[in-house]
Amino acid sequence: MTDVVGTPLSAAPVEGPLAVRLRRFTDLARQVLRNKTTLAGLIVIVGMVLVAFLAPVLTTPNVPDPYQMPRDWGALNEPPGTPGHILGTTSDGGDVLYGIIWGSRVSLRLSVIVVSVTVTIGVIVGSLAGFLGGKIDEILMRIVDVFLSIPELIFALAIAAVLGPSFGNIILALSMVFWVKYARIIRGQIIHVKQNEYVDAARITGDSRFNIFLKDVLPNSVTPVMVQATLDMGSIVLVGATLSFIGLAEAGLAEWGVLVSKGQVGISTGRWWASTFPGLMIFLWALAFNLVGDGLRDVLDPKTESR
Amino acid sequence: MTVVSSAASHLSETVAERAVISLRGVEKHFPIKDGALQRVVGQVRAVDGVSFAIRPGETVGLVGESGCGKTTLGRCISGLAPTTGGKIYFRLGDDAAARLDEIEAIPEAERSQDQLAEIERIDAGHRIDQLSGPAWKTYRRNCQMVFQDSFSSLNPRQLVKDIVGRPLRVYKEASGSELTERVVSLLESVGLGRQHLYRYPHQFSGGQRQRISIARALALDPEFIVLDEPTSALDVSVQAQILNLLHELQQERGLTYLFISHDLGVVRLMSDRIAVMYLGEVVEQGTALELFESSRHPYTDALLAANPDISSETTEMKGLSGTVPDPANPPEGCRFHTRCPVATPACGWEVDDAVDWLQTKETLLGALIDVERRTNFDATLVFHDVDSAAAVTTAMAEGDIPAAMKGALANLARDGTKVRISLTPVEPVRLADVGGQHLTSCILHTGL
Amino acid sequence: MTSTVDGLPPASRPLVAEVKDLRVHFQAKAGLVHAVDGVSFEIRDGETLGLVGETGCGKSVTARSFIRLIPSPPGVYAGGEIDFWSSAARRKGEGPIDLLQIPQKEMLEIRGDRIAMIFQDPGKALNPALTIGSQMSEVLFQHRSQELMEAALEEDPPAILRRAARQQSSALERLLLKLPPWRGRMRRLSRRVDELVARALTETQISNPRKIMDSYPHELSGGMKQRVLIAQALACNPDLLIADEPTTALDVTIQARILELIAELQQRLETSVLYISHDLSLVREICDRVAVMYAGRIVETGTTKEIFSNPLHPYTRGLMAAVPSAAHKRGELAAIEGNVPELVDPPPACRFNSRCPFAVEICRTTDPRAIPIGDEHSVACFAYESGDRTELPTLEQWV
Repeated sequence: MTDVVGTPLSAAPVEGPLAVRLRRFTDLARQVLRNKTTLAGLIVIVGMVLVAFLAPVLTTPNVPDPYQMPRDWGALNEPPGTPGHILGTTSDGGDVLYGIIWGSRVSLRLSVIVVSVTVTIGVIVGSLAGFLGGKIDEILMRIVDVFLSIPELIFALAIAAVLGPSFGNIILALSMVFWVKYARIIRGQIIHVKQNEYVDAARITGDSRFNIFLKDVLPNSVTPVMVQATLDMGSIVLVGATLSFIGLAEAGLAEWGVLVSKGQVGISTGRWWASTFPGLMIFLWALAFNLVGDGLRDVLDPKTESR
Repeated sequence: MTVVSSAASHLSETVAERAVISLRGVEKHFPIKDGALQRVVGQVRAVDGVSFAIRPGETVGLVGESGCGKTTLGRCISGLAPTTGGKIYFRLGDDAAARLDEIEAIPEAERSQDQLAEIERIDAGHRIDQLSGPAWKTYRRNCQMVFQDSFSSLNPRQLVKDIVGRPLRVYKEASGSELTERVVSLLESVGLGRQHLYRYPHQFSGGQRQRISIARALALDPEFIVLDEPTSALDVSVQAQILNLLHELQQERGLTYLFISHDLGVVRLMSDRIAVMYLGEVVEQGTALELFESSRHPYTDALLAANPDISSETTEMKGLSGTVPDPANPPEGCRFHTRCPVATPACGWEVDDAVDWLQTKETLLGALIDVERRTNFDATLVFHDVDSAAAVTTAMAEGDIPAAMKGALANLARDGTKVRISLTPVEPVRLADVGGQHLTSCILHTGL
Repeated sequence: MTSTVDGLPPASRPLVAEVKDLRVHFQAKAGLVHAVDGVSFEIRDGETLGLVGETGCGKSVTARSFIRLIPSPPGVYAGGEIDFWSSAARRKGEGPIDLLQIPQKEMLEIRGDRIAMIFQDPGKALNPALTIGSQMSEVLFQHRSQELMEAALEEDPPAILRRAARQQSSALERLLLKLPPWRGRMRRLSRRVDELVARALTETQISNPRKIMDSYPHELSGGMKQRVLIAQALACNPDLLIADEPTTALDVTIQARILELIAELQQRLETSVLYISHDLSLVREICDRVAVMYAGRIVETGTTKEIFSNPLHPYTRGLMAAVPSAAHKRGELAAIEGNVPELVDPPPACRFNSRCPFAVEICRTTDPRAIPIGDEHSVACFAYESGDRTELPTLEQWV
């Protein structure tokens, strides 16, 4: 409604630059956290990250490789509630709780690395295409089109399969495939932002193209990327779990997907715990990031509200 | 270095013998692409041959409605968009301009090597698309712009201090606390203050944002500012404040303005000389007084008639009917003739006008299958059946086509379902002087 | 421009609408914004009333309240009434209905039929995915289905056809209607609708209505779109047309034609018009009476002639002095200092006091009331109160 009048300036106290920027940030944060579901998601994430960090404290790390599930041949397929194994054990004596805790570390590592790498590649490619335009745009977008013509999961699968079964290779495969959407997102935003008159004004000021990109175009184009990155922190773990579920990770890895796969066999015989608990973790992780991502989007980009 | 130079520095004696900006035959065409391969199928002639000069210390008003090319021209002059034809000069001396006039009057093939070299020399020193290094910097610093939309012309993520101080940083004129003080002084000169330094654009009203834009434009103490509809988006009372401010700043600093607007009342108040644009061309040009008291072009008259003047009691608003020609294919003659209430047969009636007139005769338009065009003035219309062709011929010969178009009809012949029409071709219109630098392109006034 | 209806001068014509102390508030983070705060005016039969003011004065909110277009959170109708007399009610000598109180069903019947509205941006008011013809026919189907049926179909059309005419057919019925016994009748119905649409378009001086009806909005120019919207608004011959800055987005030469059109149609159809604008000079051209708004309140009302020759309120005077005209010299436009005040939980006071050069104590503490001055002219300013002159402001020439 254009008729409603806002508050004038005179009432606000005078603040220095840092105070102003800080307040803008806290205002935004408060807005995001006002949403109960977003807050819930954030709490879950914080919880999981803490667990991941405190893994060596919460459990005794396996030797020599803490990321391998410990095998206790004396405690096979124990149900939850057995002393020493609160959530039960797997078919080769691995403690499910151990698997969950160390699995969260693996998942955190996966999502942080993959999202960082894909956002970086995607933003660089998309920025070059969007900002420079012309032939560069065409060439880069054709490359993007090639990537898009192959379903992401299958592509990642193929790469991982070729490179050999290891979780490190899964991380590599996902990084090589999932950058494309960021390129498109930021290219679209940049093309849109470029049309604003403040970009023209910056040109008239005489600033260099690079500076204009850095100060005017990029900061106003990143919000959708941030939202998407948050959502991807959740969904990448899902994809990683899928790939490791079908056997592309090392056997015996303390990783949620591997555990689900391992525990599959037992389900028909009533041994539900070895799959269910890790599966629940995957679900929680993805859900939590989705909630936070949606909350962010509602605040940063109100036009696409999910309500 | 003083922050505010006196009016004298921009208007010293030597300066008075040059123009700030000189336009010579400036064109800006945009390609129209079509098809999967994006081939260029035509050009939108947004600016199609504009020439005038802006002298130091004056305000030139550029007036016209949407699509006339004034904003595009403003962008070309401020260096945001490269021209596709013609030349824009910065600080071209009067004698150099005279030399160019002389040499360009000679047909290209007959110009001597010396003359060509002279043009090159002048161009290299003054054409904005050929300047480089320090000359470019001088132009860039002295030619600033204020935009229409105060919201989108300020980066929403930058503080006012950074926005206004940016030009100083780019040219490394100041930093740290000196920069802050310069910015404060700029803010104060536009009616804002120190308390506004660390705020974001969205916290200000439209009028205040426009003041910030103006402060930014003044940061480097420029000679010339392009004002692209600076108050069109503002309320009347805020507009008054901003216009008063612009005038005050001009007086204090000896600024030169190009004031682009569609609002005649504002342009009349703020301009010394005015150029009226229509469909990419200047149709009339003169002092504000000349244009408002004795306009010499029907389009200017139409604009005046359509703009209600609050101080007059007895105006009746009148608008224009008729269609605006396609900017990709404008008429060869006067571009305004399709809507002109006083058009004559010699104004440049074309085949397209006849077809457009058919549009108003619904049944006849449906029967038209094809137009075989020989020139813009000579074509054969092919109809579906003989009756329609006959009806059209009769209508054109005796019926209700505009008298001016009828007068231009040189030949009208029917052969079965085909009707051949040809109209008297005309020369393109030119601006001609009708008395002391008052130029118009209307043949009713120039007698051409 | 004064129009006369039945030869009667404005003051003695029957009322079409009367706004009484309208209050519309908006819930914002900072508090309750009093966007419209005690607005009262009348609209008489056959006249054009101009509602003039700058951004944020509440004129659009007032206009939209007539047909309850204010979104309900955050907006709330906090008081007052909008009384409306339809032509039928006037003929029968009935009393008015309160537009703010009538049930939604009744409001839907009135909207588009008895009260129509045209908006500022014609591009946004048209559905880009439908042809002009289909969009316009919707209005007729909604409000004129009875007429359509009588004209196109037999004496007592079966229920299925009646529902079709009101566009209330179910999916199954729509399928059935494509079959032979119904198809012919449906075609007659469509043809009748098209005729009415074409006629409505011709009234707005469109020379080739059939072509326009088959076009999509993006194929039309701004002026043409606005004509279509005017045609749509007037298709059902409403008693009141509300025009919210209909020409702001158009070029000046087109604007003049559209205004000519509205004026002509108004005369012919004897519709009353509520014309919202920020442009004083425009309002002078086309309105019979003017109400000036500032910060949610009406500050002055009167005939156009009166207001422009004898503006009383300091704001009105300041506004007129701020419009560039032949009489002004550069740099000397009267600029009203300051900005529009915030309207969040405002205290009782004249809203203009912080910017008024003549303000005194009473202006800062008490809400002004509308004082009638002579015939048809009222102003809400303490300077015109009779009483102890030492406590009241005195006006001088606006500098």
